[in-house]
Amino acid sequence: MNDASPAGGPARLEIAIDDKCFRAVGGGAQTVIAGLSLTLGAGEVGAIVGPSGCGKTTLLRIIAGLDRDFRGRVALPAHGKLGMVFQEPRLLPWRSVEDNVRIAAPDADSADIGALFVTLGLSAHRTHFPGELSLGLARRVAIARALAFEPDLLLLDEPFVSLDATLALRLREEIAELVESRGVTTLIVTHDLDEAIYLADRIFLLAARPTHVVEALHVETPRTKMTESEAARLRTAARKVQGALAQ
Amino acid sequence: MARIVSLLVLLLAWQFASLGASARYLPAPMAVFTAVAAEAQSGALLSNLGATLLRVIAAFALAMILGSVLGVAMGRKRAFDDFADPWVVVLLNLPALVIIVLAYIWAGLTEAAAIGAVALNKLPNTIVTMREGARALDAGLDEMALAFRMPLATRLRHVILPQLAPWLAAAMRSGLSLVWKIVLVVEFMGRPNGVGFEIGTAFQLFDVKLLLAYTLPFVCVMLAIETLLVQKIERRVSRWRPRTA
Ligand SMILES: Nc1ncnc2c1ncn2[C@@H]1O[C@H](COP(=O)(O)OP(=O)(O)OP(=O)(O)O)[C@@H](O)[C@H]1O
Ligand SMILES: [Mg+2]
Repeated sequence: MNDASPAGGPARLEIAIDDKCFRAVGGGAQTVIAGLSLTLGAGEVGAIVGPSGCGKTTLLRIIAGLDRDFRGRVALPAHGKLGMVFQEPRLLPWRSVEDNVRIAAPDADSADIGALFVTLGLSAHRTHFPGELSLGLARRVAIARALAFEPDLLLLDEPFVSLDATLALRLREEIAELVESRGVTTLIVTHDLDEAIYLADRIFLLAARPTHVVEALHVETPRTKMTESEAARLRTAARKVQGALAQ
Repeated sequence: MARIVSLLVLLLAWQFASLGASARYLPAPMAVFTAVAAEAQSGALLSNLGATLLRVIAAFALAMILGSVLGVAMGRKRAFDDFADPWVVVLLNLPALVIIVLAYIWAGLTEAAAIGAVALNKLPNTIVTMREGARALDAGLDEMALAFRMPLATRLRHVILPQLAPWLAAAMRSGLSLVWKIVLVVEFMGRPNGVGFEIGTAFQLFDVKLLLAYTLPFVCVMLAIETLLVQKIERRVSRWRPRTA
């Protein structure tokens, strides 16, 4: 658990990426991230909002340790058990829904997995193979997999895309509740401002490529405590920044 | 059903052809079956079939294991591929006969030379197939396994092997038929037993009946292995694929 680590110590997620560039296939290099820094306290939820193609997925991959080809520093919360929901479901097509979850989270007990399946509406699909699922269902399996793993740090790359509005809302609440109860440090990429407002403690607004954090909004009354006026304040603040960026 | 009819037609054609030809060149089916029974009774058929089958299994296993390891390594490591690729191309284009003769000259008329030569003939095929398989491994799933810190055993069993399985099955299928054909040649040229050796004897005696009496049971055994084993494995590894149409 995170509360064991000293406050302000390694429990925080601290990221400072000076420079990340990709070599293009046709030669030359393009800088995707430049001078990006963000900090997230233990048990906090950070939402990353930015234009398409600015480097959000790249950022998550760097944090997850999947891309080490960059200049900068990433300090993960203590223990660093990491759960990830990729932008695409990335399930094992040759394993059933249930096996997909169990293989990634071998320590999870059956009751927990069962409860997760109920919440995510997957109970009827336990024995199905990913090829038999709709994209929305497959995304839910990917979410179940990351949650069953009981991570200390949860990375979500646009997890609610292609789910219908009601389900997206329910999952949003589910994740909010999980974060409140277990104190999982969470970083979620989203293009939906409301999603960010109702889920996050901090909202990081990113610039277009080469990207960096333009503005970090602090949410005074996060999640269940969210008020109309606070939501309106955040919305206005975010719109103003986004408007200025679009110029 | 269609298969059985087709086999019966073949048998019938053989019977008719044998009526026109001299028994020396093409004996009737019944005569061949009697010869098979006689060889079986003396125990010669079983011991020769067994000797050949053991060589097939040994050479096949050797080529599959070595070829898979090398092929996957080449598919994953660019530098190794650049280095080893010319060797594979040479081996791929070396006639089977050359490999066999060289093996017998260099290592003597030994069991090791025989099995090694057959395995070496099959090896480049396996390497090329498995290299393609390794190149086609899904990078996204690799990342997923890495992100969830899956142990190597889990990754192999649940992520990598299922992706390689169709390629392995393809290599096995093409490999088995190649190997048993070459094993006969190796036996013909330098072994004192086995189906190939018996066929060599039959050739020297111009005994077509004996030749067929060994060929038929052997082909049957290989067909049985092919249909029962290889196809079962293929079906098993593609079980998860949603059936189309
Ligand atoms: N492997 C790669 N090689 C070269 N360029 C890449 C690679 N991966 C990403 N890029 C480039 O980096 C930039 C950022 O990509 P990234 O996937 O991080 O964007 P994103 O913010 O997640 O976009 P989206 O919102 O559409 O998911 C893009 O311009 C993309 O073309
Ligand atoms: Mg993305």
